[in-house]
Order: sequence, then structure tokens, then C-alpha cells
Amino acid sequence: MASGVTVNDEVIRVFNDMKVRKSSTQDEVKKRKKAVLFCLSEDRKKIIVEEGKQILVGDIGETVDDPYACFVKLLPLNDCRYGLYDATYETKESKKEDLVFIFWAPENAPLKSKMIYASSKDAIKKKFTGIKHEWQVNGLDDIQDRTTLAEKLGGNVVISLEGKPL
Amino acid sequence: MSGGVYGGDEVGALVFDIGSYSVRAGYAGEDCPKADFPTVIGVTVDREDGSTPMETDSDKGKQSGTTHYIDTNQLRVPRENMEVMSPLKNGMIDDWDSFQAILDHTYKMHFKSEPSLHPVLMSEASWNTRAKREKLTELMFEHYNIPAFFLCKSAVLSAFANGRSTGLVLDSGATHTTAIPVHDGYVLQQGIVKSPLAGDFMSMQCRELFQELNVELVPPYMIASKVSLSEKLLFVSFDKMIVTKVHTIYFVFFVTRIQCVRDHQQAGRKKKSCLKSHCVIQDFQASVLQVSDSPYDEQVAAQMPTVHYELPNGYNCDFGAERLKIPEGLFDPSNAKGLSGNTMLGVGHVVTTSVGMCDIDIRPGLYGSVVVTGGNTLIQGFTDRLNRELSQKTPPSMRLKLIANNTTVERRFSAWIGGSILASLGTFQQMWISKQEYEEGGKQCVDRKCP
Repeated sequence: MASGVTVNDEVIRVFNDMKVRKSSTQDEVKKRKKAVLFCLSEDRKKIIVEEGKQILVGDIGETVDDPYACFVKLLPLNDCRYGLYDATYETKESKKEDLVFIFWAPENAPLKSKMIYASSKDAIKKKFTGIKHEWQVNGLDDIQDRTTLAEKLGGNVVISLEGKPL
Repeated sequence: MSGGVYGGDEVGALVFDIGSYSVRAGYAGEDCPKADFPTVIGVTVDREDGSTPMETDSDKGKQSGTTHYIDTNQLRVPRENMEVMSPLKNGMIDDWDSFQAILDHTYKMHFKSEPSLHPVLMSEASWNTRAKREKLTELMFEHYNIPAFFLCKSAVLSAFANGRSTGLVLDSGATHTTAIPVHDGYVLQQGIVKSPLAGDFMSMQCRELFQELNVELVPPYMIASKVSLSEKLLFVSFDKMIVTKVHTIYFVFFVTRIQCVRDHQQAGRKKKSCLKSHCVIQDFQASVLQVSDSPYDEQVAAQMPTVHYELPNGYNCDFGAERLKIPEGLFDPSNAKGLSGNTMLGVGHVVTTSVGMCDIDIRPGLYGSVVVTGGNTLIQGFTDRLNRELSQKTPPSMRLKLIANNTTVERRFSAWIGGSILASLGTFQQMWISKQEYEEGGKQCVDRKCP
């Protein structure tokens, strides 16, 4: 069952840019998005890219120290959001990168917002073809701890996340 | 209200959530339902001499000679030869005549509006059958001539209203306790688990307690007056007129709220009935009972602070251990009277069994979002006990999280509120089955549009 809310083309473009790794120059890499949030448009008809709520790869080490902690801080405490996070992690065998789709619906969000975001999640998820990891998060408790994301990504074989050992 | 104009945000849609205990109905976009009344109707057959019992605003049934009494006020008046019955059986619509009587009543007395003016969003049990869904769609379009219709699984509405598209919805109502796994907004049919240990079961246990105590349950309507003789004694005089005239089925309805189909059939009657009360036992349940934190222990129970309770017939007593002992059956059926050797599942088991029947990959998501809903979960201590039981049974690799709204309104009406928000969305208008679609595609379109 769905709400009929649609997904803006910009959202799909952002997703494709994050998903497909083109061979690019150093400068282009810096402009790649590490993480981004999506929200409902004001008329509650479309899912759009939320302005200013993103982390660029180039920001890491410059304005952002820990991209994961920074991403968690982007999430509003009293409203719902969707998000994409490009996680880099290491297992015993190899280094990996994976996109994680996050549905954020904290307990303090208004009921109406929870209802609309939950019933529209299918619409945005369908546009994100080939996404391996989907994560429903309902409060800071669920997401603050980096090990939860590591478990999500690879069970207990993940040894480091964003270059930091777990 | 834009009435028949259907398009734009204001569609004036109506939302119905019909549970085994009460009918919740109201306008989409509002915070809580406009109407909330028992899902039972009283039926009287007019006397053969043609005279009818005095009527107020009761609804005349379509079959000549029967009168339907719906809604709290109507049901509370004792009437000669009145039987009570429910349109639902096992959470699904079973008696279509009384179902229609309830809809007619809601339109006439609560909305005071024409059905043809409003799209209707209705909730349904997750296990509803295809035949019943199609029949309902047909009824709404053909008989009520509504402009648009939508059918939602109530478990999905509850999950959404709690910000979950994946989760396990534990719904404990009057007739049953169910666990419904919801994944990405769809019910996983193979994982549905139902148990009859719910509100009505507790009422039955209370009734047995009173039988044991040798207390006669007398509904307040039978009592003419009470005179206090001493501190401990009351003299109760009965209204003889009413006592002799009121149908026994109604009497039972008033005293308790139990599924009494079996007794009724034994009595050789044709009509099925589901009997309810808002008076004697329910009040007792709400005031006295409490679920124990841990499995029932005689010694702990003995130390329970007692609660004083007086029944309408003047019997009064302090209840201590019984406060914990009666609801214990919900969680531990082996402890319940009259159920020895049964295979019914306690509340905790309903949840774990349901999760166990789902794919192993989604189990963490289900344990991580157990949504507790339904009126019976409001009994004191219910969620604490459930949390305790589940945390012992959840595999160590998974996190357990119970979501239970603190407010009575949200716990009882979560499905209705979810439906209210959904049906009020401008974008939702493309989801409705429109009258035109129904006319072109027939009643089967409900299977495609409302999965």
C-alpha cells in the first residue's frame, strides 16, 4: 500500500551519481556526495533532495572529521527523512564501498509525518535499484553506535568503518 | 466540504475501522474518530399483533418486523426480546445484514450525510478472504453508491502510523490477539499468528471468578434501589418488571462480553451472537486487574496491594492475588482455568511464533519494531511483561524494541488515525478505486488496487 507520493528526478540523479563510479579527476571525486538526505516537498507531493543536508567526499578531512558522526548529526530529531550513505569499510579480505538507504523515523516525529514517510518509502526505494542495504532507524539509539552500521554491512566480518577500526 | 467533487486535497473522505469491539468512524484528516460505538447490534422482532416496542431513534431493519438497535445509548436500554449479535466473525464481516445496519446507522446518525458524497477508506483484517473483500467492494459501490473506495490492512496502518514500514504488529483486542509481520508495507501472510487469548477471554475468567465466589452478576439496569443496612451489607431490590421481560441473551451481554456462540447454539437458536458488556465485568477488569511483571508467583501475588471493588448488586470485596492471577492466562495459558491441556498461545509466544515463520533475513527487522496496539494491551503491566518475555526469547544477535504508544487514544485508534492521514493526502487520490474503475473492472479491481 502506498501514499501516491512521487519521487523527484533530482533524487534519482543524485542516487545514480553516488552509485555509478565514473573514472574522474581528483576535483570531481571531491564533489562526490558521501551522504545526502531527502525530504518531502512542502506540498507533500514529492520526495526531493533536502538542501544543505549533505556531506561531500571533499569535506572529509577538511570541515568534517568523522563522516558517520557528521551524518548522524544531520538527521532531525523531530521529523522523518530518507537518506543515502556511501559507507567505506574493510573486512579481513578486502576494502569495500556500499550504499546504504536509510529510512529515519524518530519516535518524536509527528504522527502525520511518520505515516506519510512510512507509506511513501516504497516509492523511493523502488527508484533506488540495486541497493543492497536498507536500514529503518527509529531513534538515535539505533544509529549512534557505528557497530550497528558495521553489522548491517557485513555481519561480524567488518573490521573497520571509514578508516577507523571498530 | 467539497462533497462529491473528488480531486484536490479536500475529498471529504470517510474512514471506517471496524474492530470486533467497536466501530471507529470519522472524517479523513481529523485526529480521532467522530464515532466509536460497540460493534454489536440489538435485534428485536416485532410482536405479532403489529404493535412495536416504543422506538426512539432506532434503525428499522429492512426485513419487515425487525428493529435494529445500534450504538451505546440504544444498547443500554433493556428491551423485551432483544438479542444482540455481531456482524463480525473471526475479525471478518460475516453477517452482512447487520453490517449494513451499522453502516446505515453511521451515515445517518454520525455523519448525517449521503454515502454517495464521500470516498470511503476501510480497514480490514490481514487474513480477510478474497471473496469477502470483493463482496464488500461490490456493496460499497452498488448499494451505497460511493464515489471511491480503498481497503487497507489494519496492521499496515498501525505500522505506518508508528513510523515503520517493516515491523511486527501485535494487536490484542476483544476477540483475539494477533501478530502480523509487515515487511516494506505488505503483510507477510505466512507469518500471521492468532490466539483467542484476549479481552473476551479475560472477561470469561472474571466471570468464573465470580461464579466461584458465588456472586451473582446483576447488571445495573435491573436494580431498582439500594439501601445500606450496615457497613458490609446492602439491601438490593430488583426491578421485577425488567427482570422478567429481558431476554437472557441480552442479560449476558450486559454482564460480560463473551463469545457465546456455543451456548447460544445449544439453546437451539439460529442466530449467532457475540455478546458484550460495558458494565459489570469490563469495569471490574479496568479497575482491578494488572499483569504481573514476571511469571505468576503465589507469594508475590499474595503481597499485591488490594483493590476494593463493589459490584452493582452490592457485593463488595478486596481483591489481591486475583488481580494478577486472572490476566496471567494471557501470557501463560497453562495457568488459566478451564484451559488445561490446551494449545493456545500466550501473548509472548504469538510474537515469537510469528517471527519464526518469517524469512531469517527479516527477523531482526521484526524484533526491532514490535508495535503494540489494541485495547486489551492497555491493561496495566501488559507491555512490561511482554518486553520481559520477549527479551528472554529474542536471539542474542538481534535487538528487541517494543513500540507502545502511551496514550489510550493512539493505542486504541492507531489504525484509524493512520487511515485518516492516508485518505486525506492529496497524492492518495490516484490510489483510490474510483467508481469508474469499478464499473470498468468489476469487483476484482480491489485485489489489484488494494493488495
